Amino acid sequence: MAWLWFSKLGSPKWFYELSGKWLPWLAAAMVAVLSVGVVWGLLFMPPDYQQGFTTRILTIHVAVASMSLAFFPLMAVAGTITLVWKMKLADMVVKTAAPLGAWFSALTLASGSIWGSVMWGTWWEWDGRLTSMLFQFFLLISVISLRSALNDNEAAAKACAVLSIVGCINVVVIKYSVDWWETLHQPASSLSMNTGSVNGPEFWVPTALMMLGMYLFLAVALILSIRNEILERERRAQWVQDLARVA
Amino acid sequence: MFELQFNNFGEFLDMGGYAFNVWTVYALFAVFILANLLIPLRRRKQIIRELKRRRIVNEGVTRTGGNPNQNQERNGLNTYPANGIDTVGENQ
Repeated sequence: MAWLWFSKLGSPKWFYELSGKWLPWLAAAMVAVLSVGVVWGLLFMPPDYQQGFTTRILTIHVAVASMSLAFFPLMAVAGTITLVWKMKLADMVVKTAAPLGAWFSALTLASGSIWGSVMWGTWWEWDGRLTSMLFQFFLLISVISLRSALNDNEAAAKACAVLSIVGCINVVVIKYSVDWWETLHQPASSLSMNTGSVNGPEFWVPTALMMLGMYLFLAVALILSIRNEILERERRAQWVQDLARVA
Repeated sequence: MFELQFNNFGEFLDMGGYAFNVWTVYALFAVFILANLLIPLRRRKQIIRELKRRRIVNEGVTRTGGNPNQNQERNGLNTYPANGIDTVGENQ
C-alpha cells in the first residue's frame, strides 16, 4: 500500500491533473513574490558603502545563481528513479530541467559579469567559482545534446540520467570553489540582523524574496515544460485524445 | 528599511551612475522570465492544435472503415482524401 502513491506519482496522467490544479496558485505566488522583491530591491534597498547601487544586480544574481545549483541534484534524483524504476515521469523531469538549468546558469554568468565589469574591473577571470559555473552551463548543454544525439529513447534516458548523476560533482565544486581557491569571487556573506550593518536585513530580505520568487519560477516553468512533454509522449493515450477534444 | 532611495525619476534611472549595468541585468532578467514562460505556453498551443488535427484525420479513417451508421451518413465523404481534412485542421 505504501507504494501506491509512488506508482501514482509516476503516472503522467496523475501528474498532469495535479499540476493543473497547482499551476494557478504557484503562478500567482510567483508574480506576487517577484513583484515585491523587484520593487523592494529597486526602490528601497540602500546603496552599499562600496558597491553603490550595483547591489541591485546582486539580488538577481544571488537568487538565480543559488537556484541554478538545484538542477543537477534534481536531475540526479530523477535520473536515479529513471534508472532503477524506469518511471516515465522521472525521465521527463531530466529532459525538461536541462534547458531551464542552462538558462539559469547563463543568466548567472551574464549578471555576474556585468556586475564584475564595474566592481572588479573585469568582465571575466578564470577564477574557481566563475569557471565551475561556466562548466555547469556546458554540462547542461551536453545533457541536452546527448539526448538529441541518441535516437533510441531508452538509451538516451539512461545516458542523460548517468550524466546528471556525475554532474553533481561539479555542484560541490561550485559550492566550495570560493573556499578552495581564494582568487576573485567573494565567499558567502555572513548575514547580520541589524539594520545599518554591511550585510543587514535591508539587503538580505529583498535578496531572500528574490530567491523564493526564483524557486517558484523554477517550479512554474518546469511544470509547464513537463506538461508539454506529457502531452507529446502520451499523445496516443485516450485521456490526451479526450483532452484535445475539449481544449 | 523602507526609505525610498531616489528623490526623482531621473535619479532612479541613473542608478548612481551604474544605469547601464543595472538596467541591462534587469532587461536580461525580464527576457529570462518571459522566455521560459512564453515558449512552453506557445508549445502547448502547438501540441493541442496538432492533437486536434490528428484526431480529425484519425476519425475520418475510422468512419470510413468502422461504424456502419456513420458510414452511411458520411458516404459522400468516404472518398475524401486525408489531405483535404488535414488542411482544414492546419488552418485552425
